[in-house]
Amino acid sequence: MPRLLALAPLPALAASLIAAGAPRLSIGGTPLVLLFGLDAPGALLLGVAALLWVAAGAYAAEYLRDGAHAGRFAACWLLAAAGCLGLFVAADLVSLYAMLAMMTIGAGGLVIHDGTPRAWRAAATYVGLALLAESVLLVGLVMLAAEMPGPGLAIDDAVATLAASPHRDTILALLVAGFGVKAGLVPLHVWMPLAHSAAPVPASSVLSGAVVKAGIIGLIRFLPTGEAMPAAGHLLAVAGFVTAFYGVAVGLTQRHPKAVLAYSSVSQMGVVVAVLGLGLAAGDGGAGIAAAFYAAHHVLVKGALFLAVGVAAAGAQGRRGWVLAPALLLCLGLGGLPFTGGAVAKFAVKDAFGTGVTAALSAASAAGTTMLMLHFLRRLAGAEVKDAARAPTGLLLPWLAMAAAALLLPWFLYVPAGLGTVGGATGLEATWNAFWPVALGAAFAFALRGRADHLPKVPEGDIAAALEPAAGLTLRLGAALEGLDADLRRWTVASVGLVLVAVAIGWTLWRG
Amino acid sequence: MTLLAETVAPAAGGGWLVAAIIFPVVALLLAVAGGARFAARVGVLALPAGLAIAVAIADGVAKHGVLGYYVGGWAPPLGIALRADVLSAAMLVTTAIVASGAGLYALHDFGPPREPGGGRQTLGFWVSLLGAWAALNLAFVGRDLFNLYVALELLTFAAVPLVCLDGRAPTLQAALRYLLYALVGSVLYLLGAVLLYGAFGTLDVELLATVVRPEPAAWAAAALMTAGLLAKTALFPLHLWLPPAHAGAPPAASAVLSALVVKGSFFIVLRLWFDALPGLATAMAMQFIGLLGAGAILYGSALALRQSRLKLLVAYSTVAQIGYLFLVFPLAFDASAGRLVAGTALAGGLLQAVSHAFAKAAMFMSAGLVAVALGHDRIEGFGGLARARPVSLLAFALAGVSLVGLPPSGGFAAKWLLLSAAVESGQWWWAVVIVLGGLLTGAYLILVLMRALQEPAAPTASLRPVAAWREAVPLALALLAVLLGLAGLAPFQPGAGTGAVAAAEAFQ
Repeated sequence: MPRLLALAPLPALAASLIAAGAPRLSIGGTPLVLLFGLDAPGALLLGVAALLWVAAGAYAAEYLRDGAHAGRFAACWLLAAAGCLGLFVAADLVSLYAMLAMMTIGAGGLVIHDGTPRAWRAAATYVGLALLAESVLLVGLVMLAAEMPGPGLAIDDAVATLAASPHRDTILALLVAGFGVKAGLVPLHVWMPLAHSAAPVPASSVLSGAVVKAGIIGLIRFLPTGEAMPAAGHLLAVAGFVTAFYGVAVGLTQRHPKAVLAYSSVSQMGVVVAVLGLGLAAGDGGAGIAAAFYAAHHVLVKGALFLAVGVAAAGAQGRRGWVLAPALLLCLGLGGLPFTGGAVAKFAVKDAFGTGVTAALSAASAAGTTMLMLHFLRRLAGAEVKDAARAPTGLLLPWLAMAAAALLLPWFLYVPAGLGTVGGATGLEATWNAFWPVALGAAFAFALRGRADHLPKVPEGDIAAALEPAAGLTLRLGAALEGLDADLRRWTVASVGLVLVAVAIGWTLWRG
Repeated sequence: MTLLAETVAPAAGGGWLVAAIIFPVVALLLAVAGGARFAARVGVLALPAGLAIAVAIADGVAKHGVLGYYVGGWAPPLGIALRADVLSAAMLVTTAIVASGAGLYALHDFGPPREPGGGRQTLGFWVSLLGAWAALNLAFVGRDLFNLYVALELLTFAAVPLVCLDGRAPTLQAALRYLLYALVGSVLYLLGAVLLYGAFGTLDVELLATVVRPEPAAWAAAALMTAGLLAKTALFPLHLWLPPAHAGAPPAASAVLSALVVKGSFFIVLRLWFDALPGLATAMAMQFIGLLGAGAILYGSALALRQSRLKLLVAYSTVAQIGYLFLVFPLAFDASAGRLVAGTALAGGLLQAVSHAFAKAAMFMSAGLVAVALGHDRIEGFGGLARARPVSLLAFALAGVSLVGLPPSGGFAAKWLLLSAAVESGQWWWAVVIVLGGLLTGAYLILVLMRALQEPAAPTASLRPVAAWREAVPLALALLAVLLGLAGLAPFQPGAGTGAVAAAEAFQ
């Protein structure tokens, strides 16, 4: 069964190539209609996500050879894949929510795969926060649905309703909070480092690459970027920048390469959210596709780098160059190194960041990212390697394929995504603008080398670890409730209760 | 509200309503007459036939909107009316499906006895099941408050033996507890009915609706009847009988009790308030009933989290899920009109009743199979269960999907409708409760599933085998609960779909 995992996302890949802009598929009638369609951001993300699911699926087939629980892993994998890919084509509120739920359940199953206490803790945090996010989201969606004219629940109608809604700010806050958890906005990011570093390598790869984009596509779909909302937009951008720098800062204190990568994902999603926030503030309708493009590059890079961690750990005897050299390019690419895929991604969001403070923050975040990714590379190179083992080709090939895709694909996707011509990305000014933050980050990384290990050690999942004493309080509250229940179920109390209920109903009928 | 005589095309399929009540009674009498050797066979034959009757009624309701029948040809106030609307049809079909599932599942424990003289439990189970079924059907189609009282009493007397089938002291004690508390509830209900009859001279639901005035007798009657029904429904804080009743009951009996029996009295609360006394409702009274429901949701879920035995966890989950049903009352209250209005909230409540019935029956049955396989139901000792009993665990998990309210389950559709009603009426505090309840539900179910997915602490002793067909029954019921939300995709399917429109139309 796990051998065939790579085939499952192929229809999604095909759909992203041929079905973009096709008429919507509508299933059902009154009172419930499910709609599926593919707009430009959806097609872009669906395509790269499907590619990652294919590569990681092939990788998983090798990774899970002779492992236990392969059947359970495959079931969870397919559930998560279906939800994740389905999310990009869902065009109504109900199917969007259904896909999210399906993805969460599957991803939770992937996180527990190793069965270690650490994996269980990570999965509990992940599923708990995800359920919380989905509940908040549900309230927002229901509020939106309540104001929509007619029985249909299409997302674009919903956004039109949202723009004119008297409860616009409340609904927007609920939606941003819900999708924010999914995208890992600080302080709702705690599940991400835990889950992404506890999951088996191929699962980490899709979780950090594809699954976190659920929050991003949600924000892209629902933020009414058509009209300027300066206050809300700037607030969102601040949250994005805070997340971007927080992820870098905490990531630098991490030792395990997967934990460093996970914090880098937190940081990168912060950048995407900042783009969307600035777009909302300016009423820039093009921010959605720009953010999607940046996120698509992240799907490829982060998916690939997680696979590299597994290749390195499986033993890169005689193949170290095949791991570290492409990884170096990808790492610097994430910072925006000219002529990599990352340079195109940065170029796509350049206009959103504009000039002045936001542009400076963007450059600073690129420098920080470079620093963090070089820290990752050091940890990767220094990671323990099984003695004289040699990573199987089944692991090496998917990694190299994803690395190549991350470096090259953005160049080919830029024009079809409708972002304009890609020539500007290679101009002298653009090259310099992309180069100096990377050089600065590299210089800092060089200065920091060796010293990162002396930084105070922040536990994975930072705030979550600090909150654990609260669990004790909950337990005591539960014990108190049990005592109350024993009392309530005594005959005298229950009889008095019955009389009181009757009296209360009678009194409220009389008075009210 | 118009008189029944004007709205019901007489005898358009109304005979089915009589059949729905008479048929289980006849089966019950046959079972008693035939004894234990015969009872299981009668039951197994009667259940699918009863399901066919329920489907016929649902079909009639889909075509005509409502089915009616005057017993003996006499219209109220002289005669007694039976009537099936969308609410009735949905509950009739649900009851028939769950009862059939419970019967099939119980064939293993309560099949024809092997040795002569055995089978006291077998006879007890089938007679109780058929009796409860007849009582429920009467409750769903009855349109006369005294008629409904008879249904309530019959339901209690049929349900009590289900609690103590094994005849051990603890279960007898639990049964007695249930019986006494339910009887107190019945007395309160009867008292209220007498008050109504004294003040307004009729107990027919349609006639009462036209003559009831807000006055002390009506208030007292409504308060007494509602309180009595809440005690029978085990709404917090009147749930003293429910957890112990489930502790020792066989799984099939627990399934019937939790999925169906408590819905019978809830259904009568709906009839009372929506049909008989819609204009008597006040904002404060409805908020109070909703408050009890909210208490049930939070309190029941929190206690479910604390249980170490799976069966009791599921029982406290029932305490919580009953709470959702009573949120209908504040949510359906139209403040400007000063009355209860059938609409989104009622449709949500109905859907919650139906999907909870399927999901909870599946849960009790799969919990029972887990207990058979392991020899205990302590959640701590569930390590390795996922590998040993994957089908039972899958059924449990799917039922959980509906309880938590994840799409496409019936639980999701119910939650969506209730939340919509809360948003539309601006009562955001109930939305908070609904969301918190979903989170707590998720927490206690994940706790169980995580234990089951973990490796066993010690190598498990050999598990007892369980027949595959027994595992199929809860799985089928859980699948029904999970797919129920998709019924809304088909245009206008009363009784199955998210029929906000359907329910509303049937009432007008």
